[in-house]
Amino acid sequence: MRMQICLAATCWLFCAGAAQAASTEADFKTALAAAVAAEQDAGALKNQWIPTEQALAAAKKAAAAGDFDAAVAQAKEAEALAKASIAQAKEQQTAWKAGVIR
Amino acid sequence: MRGRTAHGPALFVAAVLVLFAGARASAQALPGQTLAFDRGKGNCLTCHDIKGGDSPGNLGPPLADMKARFPDRKELRGIVFDETRRNPQTVMPPFGRNLILTDGEIEAIVDFLYTR
Amino acid sequence: MRISRAIASVVVTIMIAALVAGARPAAAADTIDPDADFKAFRDYYTERFPNVPLNDFVNGPYSMDAELRKQWEAIDDFPPYDFAIDRGKQMFATPFKNGKTYGDCFPDKGTGIRQNYPYFDDKSGEVITLELALNRCREANGEEPYSYVKDEMASLTAYMAFTSRGKPFDIKIPNDPRALAAYQKGEEYFYARRGQLNFSCASCHVQNPGNHIRTEVLAPALGIVAAMPIYRSEWSGMGTMSRRLVTCNSQVRGVPLKPQDELYRDVEYYLSYMSNGLPISGPGTRP
Repeated sequence: MRMQICLAATCWLFCAGAAQAASTEADFKTALAAAVAAEQDAGALKNQWIPTEQALAAAKKAAAAGDFDAAVAQAKEAEALAKASIAQAKEQQTAWKAGVIR
Repeated sequence: MRGRTAHGPALFVAAVLVLFAGARASAQALPGQTLAFDRGKGNCLTCHDIKGGDSPGNLGPPLADMKARFPDRKELRGIVFDETRRNPQTVMPPFGRNLILTDGEIEAIVDFLYTR
Repeated sequence: MRISRAIASVVVTIMIAALVAGARPAAAADTIDPDADFKAFRDYYTERFPNVPLNDFVNGPYSMDAELRKQWEAIDDFPPYDFAIDRGKQMFATPFKNGKTYGDCFPDKGTGIRQNYPYFDDKSGEVITLELALNRCREANGEEPYSYVKDEMASLTAYMAFTSRGKPFDIKIPNDPRALAAYQKGEEYFYARRGQLNFSCASCHVQNPGNHIRTEVLAPALGIVAAMPIYRSEWSGMGTMSRRLVTCNSQVRGVPLKPQDELYRDVEYYLSYMSNGLPISGPGTRP
């Protein structure tokens, strides 16, 4: 009995691990869409970052090469970077005043 | 004989852990000095004088006597992660908050800084 | 009764205190007062660098560092921007296909007027820089616009700066809410942090003039526009104000705006106003 549970648990872990490891093109498209949307918001605030653009390019390149794990990882990195640039822009809408020579 | 079988699984687990640790270390840990001096990573020399580095800038203080100056590792790590939290007008980039360095890279740089 | 009155008076006191505390910095920051800004800006640099003559701030890093100044004075006998002045002069003398010239687009035939740019144009409601005016002149005469960052544009502005050397910046902010808004947008752009490295223009040029980034000496923001365009060794060539802004943005890992974006023009307007009274020194050389 205990052995069966062990086997089941091991199998589950492996399956979960495998599902996580192998991203699909659909996963990539979802991740890319989220990253592109965030980067557009950053663009509206005139505060895009170069590393975001680089991560987006790397994501598309990896996807074109069929490496969807890398593509998803890069797209998520791009989204995180874009969100950090948005947070910076919003914070600076008022914070800039603290640095002004008075 | 009994003892050996009893140790079997423990040894296996230990071996797996070592393998994982090894994989993580090789994936993330460029040595701290390399990360600290790399212009695309820490780029610390742009603003700080550090023993062993060439052409340092001086926007920030020299990084020396680090153990004495930062007995609390958390404080030093926090400065690298986001010094604006403590000092909003600092020009030091928030390496963690702005995703310039990963947590692992920050730890490696902090390790390196404690050798200076 | 007495207690409730006491509480009421305490509440009112707290409210007034809160209002005063809240309102004061906000009022100071929200009122657009270019004259007060100008005075504070200039005082900041002259107090921080009492040994630098006011007119020397236009020489950027050379005003901050004796060793660098020596090297500069050594090369300035044969300045590397000379070819740009000559080329600009020739371009100014050469008519467009329709027979008109650059001079026809500008007051005083374009000679000795650099110190009046940028200006606020009340017809279009926007800031007009010298670079923008030059390309508009070309387009009005049926010519293609030039790239804003170097080459022909740097040559034209080099020549126009050269004919204006020594003339004090004379930037005007008309009493027009649109002009004040442009000025404040420029000020905000100058002080707002950007890029992954989280630097503002002020991080370097207000907080750290004279300090070293690696071996580079940072220039003070006061007078920083007076030397434009510049020959930079780092670029191995000439670059305009547009090029300087684009490069600064990239260096802090921000995606640059398009040259002559409204915000770039506004920040040039702000910085030029801060430099009023300082002499045009362009074209310049920088390491």
